[in-house]
Amino acid sequence: MKAFIHSRRFVIFLFLLPAAFFCILYLVAPIPISAYYSFFDWRGLNQGRFIGWENWKRLINDRVFWLSVKNNFKLVFFSLITQIPIGLILAALLSSKIKGSRLFKVIFFIPMLISSVAVAFLWRYMYDPYFGLINNFFRLIGLDRFALDWLGDPGLAFYSVVVATCWQYIPLYMIIFMAGITSIPEELYEAAKIDGATSFQTFWRITIPLLWPTIVNAAVLVIVGSLKYFALIFALTGGGPNHASEVMATYMYVKAFTEMRMGYGSTISFSLFMIAFTVSVFFLYITNLRKNSRW
Amino acid sequence: MKKALSVLLLFMLLGTLVFAQDVVLVLWDIRTESDNSTPAVLDAIARFEADHPGVKIKHEPISNDHYKTRIRTAMSANNEPDIFMSWGSSSLELYVREGKVLDLTPYMTDEWLDRFVPASLAIGMFDGKYYGLPVTSMNTAVIYYRTDIFEKYGLEVPKTYSELLNVVDVLKANNIIPFTLANKTRWTGSMYYVYLVDRIGGPEAFRNALNRTGAFNDEPFIRAGEIIQELVRKGAFPQGVNGMDEDTGQSRALLYADRAAMYLMGTWANGTFPSENPEISAKIDFFPFPAIEGGKGDPKNLIGTPGDNYYSVSAKCAHPELAVKFLQYLTDAQMAKKLVAAGNIPPFTGAEDDIKDARIRKTNELLNQAPHVQLWYDQALPLELAEVHLNTTQALFGLQITPEEAANQMEATAVEVLGK
Repeated sequence: MKAFIHSRRFVIFLFLLPAAFFCILYLVAPIPISAYYSFFDWRGLNQGRFIGWENWKRLINDRVFWLSVKNNFKLVFFSLITQIPIGLILAALLSSKIKGSRLFKVIFFIPMLISSVAVAFLWRYMYDPYFGLINNFFRLIGLDRFALDWLGDPGLAFYSVVVATCWQYIPLYMIIFMAGITSIPEELYEAAKIDGATSFQTFWRITIPLLWPTIVNAAVLVIVGSLKYFALIFALTGGGPNHASEVMATYMYVKAFTEMRMGYGSTISFSLFMIAFTVSVFFLYITNLRKNSRW
Repeated sequence: MKKALSVLLLFMLLGTLVFAQDVVLVLWDIRTESDNSTPAVLDAIARFEADHPGVKIKHEPISNDHYKTRIRTAMSANNEPDIFMSWGSSSLELYVREGKVLDLTPYMTDEWLDRFVPASLAIGMFDGKYYGLPVTSMNTAVIYYRTDIFEKYGLEVPKTYSELLNVVDVLKANNIIPFTLANKTRWTGSMYYVYLVDRIGGPEAFRNALNRTGAFNDEPFIRAGEIIQELVRKGAFPQGVNGMDEDTGQSRALLYADRAAMYLMGTWANGTFPSENPEISAKIDFFPFPAIEGGKGDPKNLIGTPGDNYYSVSAKCAHPELAVKFLQYLTDAQMAKKLVAAGNIPPFTGAEDDIKDARIRKTNELLNQAPHVQLWYDQALPLELAEVHLNTTQALFGLQITPEEAANQMEATAVEVLGK
């Protein structure tokens, strides 16, 4: 018994226990619980009434839900094609020995340090149709037709939000890639230099392949993050105008906490979980396939 | 070990003895530092505690946005405070239906009842019983306008819709936005819709639709949507109206910058203007929403809330008599005086003569003359229907849907939520 208590395993277990407890309580347990609540007509106050598959039937016919799913996948797509490449290019530039790279590192990282709500305020004022920086810039250079209604136009609101989101998250991936680049052995670059490779070629032939696992991991982060994204959209447009920029998480919030339909809100949040889970497993699976066939 | 345990026990015993002397009533509301009614409520707490030694009110103010979530969460976890605040109507009804709220009817003496403006009590009543008492302010919505801009272009205060259209045309021709409006917030645009329905169909239109003798796609609702879209097409509202946020003051910025001339807003703005921009505030007056030619509604009717914040006692409160006693302090003449000093129009008698501010005095007169005050739809409607109303009205302003589609969506949801 004494040997067991002093064993390394038990100590590790003991130290993990508090974190594991809270992790299970707040992160793992709510998943099956929300699946359970999705079968109830529950206002959050009363006991709730078991209604079988009613909520799920409703979800399948819910036009707004499918619109928000579509918006989520659009957000995944635009985040992947902007955040990863731009983050990668910035990381490569800042890792090379250019003047003032340390200053730029700090400057580029600032958006990541601002809370989402503050970012939303910042962009809200920039997008203001009359006093905003963006429209006034266009008017100043005589391009009045580009002075648009960025957050109010249902066709534009979603893309305006996407731009703000990318601005906020590019620094995160920049830092991840920079960390990845520092772990690439210097000799490889030296060897490439001796072989007469251009800097574009070293980037393409050395940096990218060796960074590939990091890129895949970052892509999973982008995908999952975009699927469950909430804060900036909620603060910037609230999912509006009339659901134009609605995503699953904002719709879930409105249903559960504004309309107090906790049962239906749970249905939305559980389907959000299933979608995010399936997509990330699928993505990891195909990237693994590629890895195995290439290397 | 044994010693430590006995010391601990002793402390626990002492603790219960000390606490047993003090009755603590927990009060939740939105009276944070920045709220103008806070001093009045704090004063009532101090007076109550002075008169009732051994009773403490534990005041826990929560900011407006978080309050609704906090109270709902607390209610569903059976952790509700002894005394809590709501906005009356559907925001309170939810808890009344679950038996969470104390029925105040047995405590309401005639003398106490007489102190209230009757219309304001109605919002806290369900099935003829009193559950919430109005405390803070009576608010309505009026059209604020820049007197200097009206003067400059020789404009008169419009009394009818066709006169209003003329005002819109003249302002538009002079490159001034007729109405400033920030409609990301949605309830801001909803005010136009509520007024229009009331002017066109009278209060019955909404009442009947809600009690299902009428419908939300009856003619007044469709016509209201048509008028909104007519105004939008005429350019009566700012560009990007649905993207602008009322909470960050994007609407008033246009008014202060001489870019817009009119502003339909709740009369809490009476207090906002002088604190935000004293200079422009002196050039702002208001007029009631104009009549619609051929409409059934009395142009003296108002929309708004006749009490604003309602205070209730929870059903599980251990000392209901004391809590109700505290509600009396919250609604007495001294409270009225304090509220008036804060720029409010209290929903009970006691301080009308103390109102100094001209705009607030005028607001009070309007409220006194109003045959009917229609509660904001987003508070009068069940939560789910309120969401549909806010979204479809926002879409009307964005020309995203036709007035018929908006009305039909409302009616379809009403059938689902309220029945045929």
